[in-house]
Amino acid sequence: MKLATVGLALALALGVTACASSSTTSNSSAASGSTLTVADVAPFSGPDAALGPTYLATCYGATTAINNAGGVMGHKLACKSVDTRGDPADAVPAVNQMFASTSNLALVIGCTSDEAAAVVPIINAHKMAMFCMTGQSEFDHVHYPYFYRLVPPDLEEAYAMVQIAKQLGYKRVALAFGNDIGSQTFIQPAIAGLKTAGITMTTNQTLDLNATTFRTEAEAIIASHPDAIMTEALGNADPTLFSEIKQLNGGKVIPIVATSAAISPPFFKASAAAVGASAFTSNFHADNLVTESSGPAYAAFSKALLAEQGKVPGTTGNFTTYLSAPGGVHLYDGINLAALAMIMSKSTNPSVYGPDIIKIGNGVPGATVVYSFAQGEAALKAGKAIRYEGPGGPTSFDSYHDSTGIFQVDTYSPNGTVNVVGNLTAAQLRALAG
Amino acid sequence: MALFLASVGFGLVTASVLAIAAVGFTLQFGVTDVLNLAYGAIMIAGAYVAYVVNQAGASVWVGLVAAVAVCSLGSVLVNSGVYAPFQRRGTSPITLVIVSLGMTLIIEFGVEAVAGGAGVSYTMSQGTTFHEGGLILTTVQLVIIALSLVIMAGVHALLRYTKLGKAMRATAANKTLARNCGIRTSRVITVTWALTGALCGLAGVVFAIDSGSFDPTATDIFLVLILAAVFLGGPGQAYGAMLGALVIGLATEVSAAFIPPDYKYVVAFVILLVMLGVRPTGLLGAPA
Amino acid sequence: MTYYLVNLLIYAAVDAMACLALNQQFGIAGVTNFGFIIFQAAGGYTAAILAMPPKSANGGFQSYIGGWNLPFPLPWIGATVAGGLIALPFTFLVGRRLRGDFAAVGLLVTAVLLNLLVTNYVPLFNGDAGLSLIPQPLQGEFNPLASGYKWGLTVVALLLCAAVYWFLRRITESPYGRSLRAMRDNDAVADSLGKNLLSLRTGMLVLGGAIAGLSGGVLVSYITTWSPAAWGYAETVVLFAAVIIGGAGNHRGAILGAILVPVGFEEATRYIPNSNSLPPNLIPSLQWVAIGLLIVLFLWFRPQGILPERKRVIPLPGLPAPRAGPPADGEKAAPAAPAISVRPRAAPPESPGPRPAVLEAVDIVRDFGGVRAVNDVSLAVRRGTLTGLIGPNGAGKSTLLAILAGTLRASSGTVIYQGQDITGMPAYRRARLGLVRTFQLASEFKRLTVLENLLTAVPSNRGDTLRGAIAGRRYWKGDETAAIARAQAVLSRFGLESLANSYAGDLSGGQRRLVEIMRALMAEPTMLLLDEPMAGVHPNLARRIGNELVALCQEGMTILMVEHELAIMDEFCDPVAVMAEGAVLAEGTMAQLRRRSEVVEAYLVG
Repeated sequence: MKLATVGLALALALGVTACASSSTTSNSSAASGSTLTVADVAPFSGPDAALGPTYLATCYGATTAINNAGGVMGHKLACKSVDTRGDPADAVPAVNQMFASTSNLALVIGCTSDEAAAVVPIINAHKMAMFCMTGQSEFDHVHYPYFYRLVPPDLEEAYAMVQIAKQLGYKRVALAFGNDIGSQTFIQPAIAGLKTAGITMTTNQTLDLNATTFRTEAEAIIASHPDAIMTEALGNADPTLFSEIKQLNGGKVIPIVATSAAISPPFFKASAAAVGASAFTSNFHADNLVTESSGPAYAAFSKALLAEQGKVPGTTGNFTTYLSAPGGVHLYDGINLAALAMIMSKSTNPSVYGPDIIKIGNGVPGATVVYSFAQGEAALKAGKAIRYEGPGGPTSFDSYHDSTGIFQVDTYSPNGTVNVVGNLTAAQLRALAG
Repeated sequence: MALFLASVGFGLVTASVLAIAAVGFTLQFGVTDVLNLAYGAIMIAGAYVAYVVNQAGASVWVGLVAAVAVCSLGSVLVNSGVYAPFQRRGTSPITLVIVSLGMTLIIEFGVEAVAGGAGVSYTMSQGTTFHEGGLILTTVQLVIIALSLVIMAGVHALLRYTKLGKAMRATAANKTLARNCGIRTSRVITVTWALTGALCGLAGVVFAIDSGSFDPTATDIFLVLILAAVFLGGPGQAYGAMLGALVIGLATEVSAAFIPPDYKYVVAFVILLVMLGVRPTGLLGAPA
Repeated sequence: MTYYLVNLLIYAAVDAMACLALNQQFGIAGVTNFGFIIFQAAGGYTAAILAMPPKSANGGFQSYIGGWNLPFPLPWIGATVAGGLIALPFTFLVGRRLRGDFAAVGLLVTAVLLNLLVTNYVPLFNGDAGLSLIPQPLQGEFNPLASGYKWGLTVVALLLCAAVYWFLRRITESPYGRSLRAMRDNDAVADSLGKNLLSLRTGMLVLGGAIAGLSGGVLVSYITTWSPAAWGYAETVVLFAAVIIGGAGNHRGAILGAILVPVGFEEATRYIPNSNSLPPNLIPSLQWVAIGLLIVLFLWFRPQGILPERKRVIPLPGLPAPRAGPPADGEKAAPAAPAISVRPRAAPPESPGPRPAVLEAVDIVRDFGGVRAVNDVSLAVRRGTLTGLIGPNGAGKSTLLAILAGTLRASSGTVIYQGQDITGMPAYRRARLGLVRTFQLASEFKRLTVLENLLTAVPSNRGDTLRGAIAGRRYWKGDETAAIARAQAVLSRFGLESLANSYAGDLSGGQRRLVEIMRALMAEPTMLLLDEPMAGVHPNLARRIGNELVALCQEGMTILMVEHELAIMDEFCDPVAVMAEGAVLAEGTMAQLRRRSEVVEAYLVG
């Protein structure tokens, strides 16, 4: 009886998987002429559903540009989405499934704070290179040889928010963060940073992302008389909060300082709808990872990305926002870095090309600076050493493969376009760290 | 203190939305003995109907009328197409609950498949904000409270003074006996679903107006608040639902003023569980 | 490829364990536990915090209680224990006489509530982020990435699943399992036959909870992460769908359901070609719509599921091939069956004078809201009598009977049985003292066979406890065989032996009445409370039943019978009590009663 059950389960499982596509292990070089896959491992559903398509858009942009320039050693690149659903318990099976069913996987991008802690060890164990979008502090000091990060730690982003508040002259700030993983990480550093900056924290309201109204929280915020609110509460929570603050505050929106996650078309759309576009945009600042808005790197990036308008599923709203969406820009750089590293090391195997990512990112003395894949490829063919500088700015990887970018200050125009209105320096942030 | 008063005001708004929803739900249960857990899904479907109308350029109040009509018809269809056949077959109440869960999935994720998962808002003005005696309410919120009071009065008048209302009460008390007394119970049931379905649609739009921003899964937790109000007052008791809505609405908002606001729904859930454990017939129901 | 297959098999094993546990609660025992996922969650978290190092390790980025770094298999054992323990507070929701659907709602809300609490109170289990980097079993000794390790873990999971299956079948195929199924089919009747519903339901909640906890522990050891998103109440709905579709009440059905729904369905949708032109949330949304449709369609067209619950056929010794009528002459007689053993517990004393009262009602009052259904009734039923209770509709006869049986509580007054005050005693305890009732409306256990119906009533079967069930067939076989023999004798006394292995729900009305009476007799009653046993029964059969009842009284049984038919009262009952409007009008023989004008006015016609 027992054996029958075991046999039944095994037989059924084998039967189902007999039709599964086989996958090559990720450790051998891809067969010549085959298409390499870049997997976007990110949330495509749930409160952070905006992130997956954002990264996908820049993936399309990067890979199309690379393919137009002849591909990588005769291979074309293609993007694949892997929906983690925004939580670890779904992300792990999704990633396992990805490894089992993806032939010629060459690179992973994405892995946000929602799932990174769970999936990074797995991807690392499979010896697959990954460019991750998580600012979680564990990755500042833990060694994962296949992990690369082009975005700053959350710690720094919290300080950036505080610095913005300081620069705008706010003396009293209220906190309103959601109770989910990504948002909670900002609270402690924000509180510490505010203290160092001499700004009073008037109240700290944690928002349940499942709730549909936050009136009492809004009233508590208003009653504490802040000059501004520091917030991240994705999904419907922030737009609802803004709308209710406006109602309770005599029609006035309290100035908002948000995180880079607020730089996304769905967030703009929902917030603008909730309080009115002009009311929203005239009271909004967010920190964002520095991205170029002009120059050769930007030109190449902009051309490549905008060519994909209308072709990327799941993207909504003003497509040009993706030109400055956080992470998207940096993942574009990550793909280019990986592709150039593959050419330099003459291998599509991450264990081989990995170290070259660092070399190309940090550069060696006398290296030629290149601003796009096409340029880089040409330079390599000519036998030169290169340093890649993309729209995300120059990189400098430390021993943990973290490259801290610098921050800029973003606002929106009433039609949804993103404007860069200022820059923050590393020194300023260090001062807040105390 | 100021925050407490303000939260009382907010509690009244929440209570108003809850009252409309809870009365509809409890009448569905009282007259037809179905715990229609798909109620929340039909609410959000109504909210989206109004959204479509609103996006087409009309005022959201016009959309509200459309939502009421659609949800009324939809509820009648759900009952006559799904619940009633199961009941005729002698299906146990617990299986009916499972069926209603199945309907919830179909309706809610059907809406999500069509409308997408992103949050949307109505294009509307909230009117001016009044600060009166510590309460802070906008025009729209006052309208909601007024609407809720009108509905409560209407339901009261219906149940107490009209023939239909008496027929509903009789059917709720004892269907067989009602039929034997000459009441056309099947018609009463259809009309009940039409009326409560209308209430459901109305509740959905009002809920969405009150939320500021909503998506297809927004009523998942709200349904639990409805259940809390219904069971607090006594399942099947319209007046109980009104009382329950008031208590739950106030409790959730006022508690947010004193405990960390992310726990505010915990209060409602605990009330519900305590009622189920101690007095399942509710405050206004007959003791078991 | 290895990873994929391993993934599929481990999920299959974990889901199968969870579905088996849910099936045990829902399909076998009729406990609808909409909070089921909490048990798996508790197991997962317990296994995690037992296995994880102290929270300062790994950089101290997670906050959680526990962290004792215990070696395998302690985390799994802890998970199992936690799953069982967390069931205990739930019993307040299912033990009471709470409507099944209300209790289900309560459990669902509890699941939502606990999810919210865990999400918001971060120091407990790291809140929304959940726990990560959970150590895998024996990861110090082996390399968890090696394919050999993964296959090892898979085999262990499958073996555990098989063990759970074997264990649950052992319980279900015992007299205890039969009592569970009886409770599922009609809990009020099971209560009146001596089954302690609270104890049964608690047992199933704890047992199912423990297995669910174990499944959580295994899952967590594999995916090394656990967060609130993994156990929303949607997960419970998926598991219910699996059990319903696979076949509630059939353990193999539960396994099949697990393979089809959580595993097969979710896995299959990953195969749908990732069409980049569709919005990315379309497929997950449609998945849920499909699950909802499956639930509704299956419950309509095939509520028994793909693998329905099997009929338990018990071969009766010496029974020839089933035929409708009595055995023809010349056929081999059945082997000597024990004499009809409906021996009353206490031997009837042969003292002269009025017989002692076995059951006494003293000043019983029962109110329903504003209506007084029973108004100060005092009644004594004497030993060895077939006492009738008659009266017009709404007189309060059935209510009084229910109060005497313990199904209803009296608003005031006392009930005395064999000299003992049993007013506060619940129905099942009265049954165990020998006071057994039948019901007015059809109350057979529909999905049990006639023979099983009878066997459930047997009061002293060693296999009728959880411990006895676990001890196995050898432990209770003796009692079971004796019970079967008794049942066979009763069946043949009433001429229904050929229907022994038919579902009780398939019988005709009259036959079901007989089953009810036979079942009551199997409970070894000292006193029977019969609620309209002849209602709707063919007069010939009614006469047969009446004669049997008289015979039983002559053997020492005491019977109180509520009935309508005056002819029956005339023929069989002495004495008879008349009730009207909640009070006893008069008592005496039928002849005496016919002479009393107020009785004639109230009830008797001519």
